Amino acid sequence: MNASADWEELVSTALVGTDRRPLPGEGASEVELLGRAAVHTLRMRAGRRPVAPGEPPSLAAPEEQPEVSRAAGDRLARVLGGEQPRLLTEWLETAAGRGYRLSPHLLPELLDHAVRDRSIRPYLGVLAGNRGRWLAGLNPAWGFLLEEVTGVAATGPATGPATGPATDSGPTSQVWEFGTSGDRRVHLGELRAADPARARELLAATWEKEGPDDRAAFLEALTTGLSLEDEPFLEAALDDRRREVRHQAADLLTRLPGSRLALRMAERVARYVTVVGGEIHVDPPVACDSAMERDGIRAKAPRGTGERGWWLQQAVARTPLGVWPRLLGRPPGELVRMKIVDWNREVMAGWVRAAVLQGDPEWALELFAWDPIADLLAALPRDRQEIVAADFVRRHGLDGQLIMVLGGAAAPWGPALATAVLQKIIDVSGTQPWNLGELTKLAGERIDPALHDMAGRLSPEPPIQEVAALLRFRDDMLKELTQ
Amino acid sequence: MIERWNRDQVLALAPDASSQKAAGTISSPRKWSGTGVTADAVWGECAGSGSKPYRACVDLSEPAYRCTCPSRKFPCKHALGLLLLWSADGVPAAEEVADWVGEWLDGRRDRAARAAEAGATRAARSAEAPPADGRRAALREQRVSAGLSDLERWLADQVRQGLAGARRHDQWDDLVKRLIDAQAPAVAGSLSRLPAALDGDDWPARLLSEYALLHLLCVAHRNLAAPAGEGIGDRAGAGPGGVPEAGPAGLLERVRDRVGFSVTKEEVLAGAVVRDLWDVLGRRDEEHDRLIARRVWLRGRRTGRAALVLSFAPVGQALDASLVTGTTVDADLAFYPGSAPLRAVVAARHDAAPAGPPPGRSIERALDEVAEALAGDPWLDSWPLVLEGVTPAGSGSRLLAGPSGGLPLHPSAGTPWRLVATSGGQPLTVAVEWTPRGLRPLTTWDEEGRVIAL
Repeated sequence: MNASADWEELVSTALVGTDRRPLPGEGASEVELLGRAAVHTLRMRAGRRPVAPGEPPSLAAPEEQPEVSRAAGDRLARVLGGEQPRLLTEWLETAAGRGYRLSPHLLPELLDHAVRDRSIRPYLGVLAGNRGRWLAGLNPAWGFLLEEVTGVAATGPATGPATGPATDSGPTSQVWEFGTSGDRRVHLGELRAADPARARELLAATWEKEGPDDRAAFLEALTTGLSLEDEPFLEAALDDRRREVRHQAADLLTRLPGSRLALRMAERVARYVTVVGGEIHVDPPVACDSAMERDGIRAKAPRGTGERGWWLQQAVARTPLGVWPRLLGRPPGELVRMKIVDWNREVMAGWVRAAVLQGDPEWALELFAWDPIADLLAALPRDRQEIVAADFVRRHGLDGQLIMVLGGAAAPWGPALATAVLQKIIDVSGTQPWNLGELTKLAGERIDPALHDMAGRLSPEPPIQEVAALLRFRDDMLKELTQ
Repeated sequence: MIERWNRDQVLALAPDASSQKAAGTISSPRKWSGTGVTADAVWGECAGSGSKPYRACVDLSEPAYRCTCPSRKFPCKHALGLLLLWSADGVPAAEEVADWVGEWLDGRRDRAARAAEAGATRAARSAEAPPADGRRAALREQRVSAGLSDLERWLADQVRQGLAGARRHDQWDDLVKRLIDAQAPAVAGSLSRLPAALDGDDWPARLLSEYALLHLLCVAHRNLAAPAGEGIGDRAGAGPGGVPEAGPAGLLERVRDRVGFSVTKEEVLAGAVVRDLWDVLGRRDEEHDRLIARRVWLRGRRTGRAALVLSFAPVGQALDASLVTGTTVDADLAFYPGSAPLRAVVAARHDAAPAGPPPGRSIERALDEVAEALAGDPWLDSWPLVLEGVTPAGSGSRLLAGPSGGLPLHPSAGTPWRLVATSGGQPLTVAVEWTPRGLRPLTTWDEEGRVIAL
């Protein structure tokens, strides 16, 4: 009997008991059994041999990107460990933007993080490097990584030997044919920036075969370099099967004042809106026909909203803003201040939506005074944005709206906005309002970190020092990622 | 100059998670002034909530900590924050220590020297055992013998009646109490861990193995135990009166250790020491009955010896944080007596040594070493190893494979993703804890020799 069978026999005997199944031979069975079991146990422990490991593990491909510095990796570990957790995105975004890859041992923790938090996945596409994609191949839970833009594609056409220059025909078609969704999106975006017409043609060639999610995403890439040349393609996309695709196409066409959709919209609103005796008079549509629906107007109103007002608001939102001064004979600054009989809310809301959608700075500036929202602030050019936001902060108390509006002011905030916000913090810190903490965090996260000394010297108040500490942390963090 | 520790190494010194977090906040350079670092100390002043800053200082050679803050945690967040600052290269090098640091370091070294002297005297005194203790010891020997006979009978009963009938997690409770009363605490401890053997499909085999090893211990104690009243050490080699020949040198001490006869630290320190460059391989904390046991595994570079430094602290109190994973310390270790010695105490520390990946062994040589250790201590269930040139392999990467085959990981280890990520399919050096059920990964080193805790 071999050793393993002998051991099995001992175990099954012990399981039923030697009373019922005595060991063959003389002497006290149970003591003999325990003695032999001890010998077997030690023989197994001491005599263990290596087992066949099966297939040798695959090798991760050599890395092509530089690894982040040790200091940067250590700081990331701190952030993941709960120190300034809100800075995770900034760290990842900065490091990914510079084409770095992570130290391999940090990958499992971050990939697990990205399982729960989708928003960081695009950065991981770059930061994971070849090691990360190799790992994702081993763990199905991390499979999402394989769909993200890879570091090679994202570092730009000049450095990626696999993609080659975006205008070169050979490798180009390779990425477009075989790349991940993310890679194809980036490729289309790059090509679009370099040669809008060719990008559109590339997309049109495979359009019918693309999945609905990809179609919507690819259309978004056409935002760059949008021109009337894209109009026929977009007009055709208004008949797409997927609603997201139709809406994306309608949104883009709205930005083209010469498009057929814009002309149809201008024609519609001319029927609804007129100026009579210095007042704006409105006669909203009484029905939403199929032509209107095709142009992106949703027929079904949300609960509690009147149908006519709902259709009116959408029609206004989808009309090129340039139509209004011509139609009503006044500049935007005057229009937003005129009395609008009965339908004031719908028309103004439509204009706000149009200003955001079309990114029109003139209208956005005029409308911000009426409806200070973050999206309008975001539609302003940077320098203007900062002045408007700083002015708003000075005139407005600390409330939820202030924090929301500041959310629309793009980081990094320069000295003007930084000073206004820090002064606001000093002004209110005596009364300790409940959302002071949120404003402090926002300031620390958005203000240009190079201003940390200025912030620190401003006041010994704890919230200001807190902002300064956060800025210094970010300043160190960004410096580590520049080395 | 001591090599700067990395962040993980510093955080591993924290007594709990909240200290780790607090230390992170305090590691901002803005909070510190008057900082400096020399070959063996780092110090600084940290602005706290009071008017006077706290003065924190760490003696890096031990390490030992001091801070003027009132915190009872040890090391406190200031000491940890200071170390974090240092680990991020945020402390300037200094020629000499600040005055207040020098005073403290001198005071500490004086005290250490006095303690060593006192320990030596105590050990010398306890060597001549006073007669009153002799009677108490004899009484204990009787109780232990009776307790183990009781256990031996109980084990035989179990096997006679069959293990299948008694698959209950509480079946050992009564027995544990009896063995505590019999003053055999280590056996009681082994019994109280038996419920773990009931998990999984292979429980009958595992339970039989545990019973068999307990039986072996009872038999060994019966055969080797000296009659009450006689000196223990004198009896190890003799075998008159039908008692079988004693086993290899040190086996008696090993058996008595496994039964629960403890040896005091002073006695251990009075014995011979082994000086070597000890690589700190890793550590594990386990809570049992509101007491945390910290195991720190070491291996000597020159002697190739394995060592385990064990320390205890009640939950919430500071554990010994003087051995930092990934560092190498030049130290004298005093081993507890017995065959296959593993447990040790640090008798003295010398200068800091340059860190780096420790020398490893092939899987075959590591298995030979385990077999040898088992020959000296059949009850062994943990042994630190450094494997060289191994790759995570197999289904779910649950093997560590070398050129001739692989060893399975402990089932609780799961897929060691950090190790897999660091490896990328390439062989590396991995420190592991050998256990009868498989290896537990402790630490690895990446291409640049950076230590990575697993």
